[in-house]
Amino acid sequence: MSVTSLKFEASRRSLMERLFEPPAIGKMSPAARIVVYGFLLFWTGFVLFPIYWVVITAFKSAQVVNEGPYYIPFVDFTPTLDGWRAQFATDPFCDLAAVGRQLGLYVYNSVAFVLSPFVTIAPMEPQICKVFLAYTNSFVISIGSTVLCMVIGSMAAYALARIQYKPKFGNIAVFVLLALCAIAATNYAGLHWAMSGAVALALFFLLARAFGKHFTAQLGNGDILFWIISQRILPPIVVIFPIYMMFQAVGLIDTHLALILVYAVANLPIVVWLMHDFFASLPIELEESAQLDGATRFGIFWDIVLPLTRPGLAAITLLTLILNWNEYILAVFLSLSKAQTMPIMVAAKNAGERGILWWEMCAIIVVMIIPVIIMAIFLQRFIAKGVLLGAVKG
Amino acid sequence: MTRVNPRVPVTFDKIQKSFGAVRVLEELNLAVEPGEFLVLLGASGSGKTTALRILSGLETATSGSVMIGDREVTHVLPKYRDISMVFQSYALYPHKTVAENIGYPLKVRGVAKADAEAQIKDAAAQVHLGDLLHRYPRELSGGQRQRVALARAIVRRPSVFLMDEPLSNLDAKLRGHMRAELKHMQNTLGITTIYVTHDQIEAMTLARRVAILEKGILQQLATPAEIYNNPANLFVAQFIGSPPMNVVHGRLEGAVFHSNGAKVDVPLSGKVAKAILGVRPEDCSVVAPAKGNVAAEIYTVELIGDHTLVTVKTGSDMVTVKAPKDFNGKTGGKIGVSLTKDRLFVFDATSGARIR
Repeated sequence: MSVTSLKFEASRRSLMERLFEPPAIGKMSPAARIVVYGFLLFWTGFVLFPIYWVVITAFKSAQVVNEGPYYIPFVDFTPTLDGWRAQFATDPFCDLAAVGRQLGLYVYNSVAFVLSPFVTIAPMEPQICKVFLAYTNSFVISIGSTVLCMVIGSMAAYALARIQYKPKFGNIAVFVLLALCAIAATNYAGLHWAMSGAVALALFFLLARAFGKHFTAQLGNGDILFWIISQRILPPIVVIFPIYMMFQAVGLIDTHLALILVYAVANLPIVVWLMHDFFASLPIELEESAQLDGATRFGIFWDIVLPLTRPGLAAITLLTLILNWNEYILAVFLSLSKAQTMPIMVAAKNAGERGILWWEMCAIIVVMIIPVIIMAIFLQRFIAKGVLLGAVKG
Repeated sequence: MTRVNPRVPVTFDKIQKSFGAVRVLEELNLAVEPGEFLVLLGASGSGKTTALRILSGLETATSGSVMIGDREVTHVLPKYRDISMVFQSYALYPHKTVAENIGYPLKVRGVAKADAEAQIKDAAAQVHLGDLLHRYPRELSGGQRQRVALARAIVRRPSVFLMDEPLSNLDAKLRGHMRAELKHMQNTLGITTIYVTHDQIEAMTLARRVAILEKGILQQLATPAEIYNNPANLFVAQFIGSPPMNVVHGRLEGAVFHSNGAKVDVPLSGKVAKAILGVRPEDCSVVAPAKGNVAAEIYTVELIGDHTLVTVKTGSDMVTVKAPKDFNGKTGGKIGVSLTKDRLFVFDATSGARIR
């Protein structure tokens, strides 16, 4: 081999090295960097393009949409407010005063609901354009159900993380059996439900006390946790008929409360499952120390545990809010007009002989995604790590 | 500020604890005297932490009862026991400042704000933390965190202090320093203190009395000097002392201990087929091969500083001798080891019980 070829080979190898080998452990090689960042850039465009498309479509006219595709406003087409006008300008109840009246109405109706056991106050019908109604509905329902779900879910998760439950198979079987008896007694023997329920409950306590200690097979917290998450293996829609009939029986169809309850129940398994991991990973000494210091269990939960799981709480709250905000199929079944949410308004633009009104639909979608983006930015600050630093160890 | 602290005795009465099929404590009877600094010493798994947690109420005993003062507290919630505890991990609340950490026991007990502030300052001053009150635990060094945990324990002036290996996360130098401070503080406050550790030096230096636990059984409860000079059994004899006591396996016939052809006169007589001779390194001395009780080859020589440790092999046992620092034998060299006759211990090899 000649000297020149050796030299040529050496320089060629060093170029390859420079391209394909990282300069240090924990860094990427230039070639890898180009591939990775190139792909990320492409993917960013890929994900953001639909949002861009929705935003510009909201400012297109029917003609522009049908002739399309046009990509760049002011260059390809002249933006109009047609889509927005159809939603907000053609309706007499679509102004700020209507929104104010609507908010007042919510307060009034809530008071009426709270006082309903004592005084009969007729709830007032909302007088507002459909989009604003749906918008406020979406807010009330998604925030209401998220709060309910987080409160119940985090307490349940904490209990499962810190208290050992040992329900016995035998007792569970007795409970189910007695519940079935109570239902049968109510439906076929004409017994009042409160009566049969009370009798069944009393019998259950008696039997559990008498025979409970003879049952040996028992469940643990892990089984309970799995049982909870198993509630989410099937989509909530499979139980929509029983839920619909239950709510119809108690007159909750097309109310906020119905959707708040159903959404909360649907998301509870996820919240419990995720929060459980956060709680279980907290060092137990902190809570033991607080117990010795004299705090109550609830005080410990509020004062020590919740502040330390704030990143987890924020992340799961955001997740639940977004799930609720975007939920469509349960809302379709459980709301008729008064409790309609934004996704239903969006889907409604797909009806009628005129086909899909893309420009109107996109205007609504823009309005709908703004709060989600704001929430994400706001909550992102809390989803930071390093809260536990300095808790234990030297 | 001076407050008078009630000096309270603590009693474990036939405390048993099992986790499932595993027995952790077997009938622990232990009386801690009022104002005493008692150290529970044992290897990991000996049940010492379990005993402490049963006293704190974080664990419930399977059977038996616990008394603090004249109150039976076996089934009393931790917060009603009037105790405070320093954890090995410190267990500081990371989202609270030093002042809030120290003041937490006062806050949950509804102490008025002005009173609480004075007490927090007082406690912080006692552990020399006065100028760090506004910091967060993450901004403190290990030693400072330890002090915060200590201040949080003393701020309320409980009847009993519990400490679960509080110094084991500190480096050696700081540990020695904190040990001295801890002892001084306990002495000043006069609060009954129960301290758990696996470190015999901590136990010997801090305790008024040491309780040695092994496999859930109390082996000996005595002052450090008594435990060192007069161990109750083979376990205690080997556990206490650094370097540990030498043990040589053999048999006792009359007043002579036989092992591998070597014969040692012992200050007792009896007949035990499987016996163990125990002797501390400082009770052995290096002599000429012909003169000592045992003649052996040097296995290793370690210069410690003010003395040298010389290890020789006799049969299957190693014997370490504490020799002067100018000892200059080499590995493989022949020496004799002479044992101080009245400092010899003899144990039954099967039961571990002390015969002398």
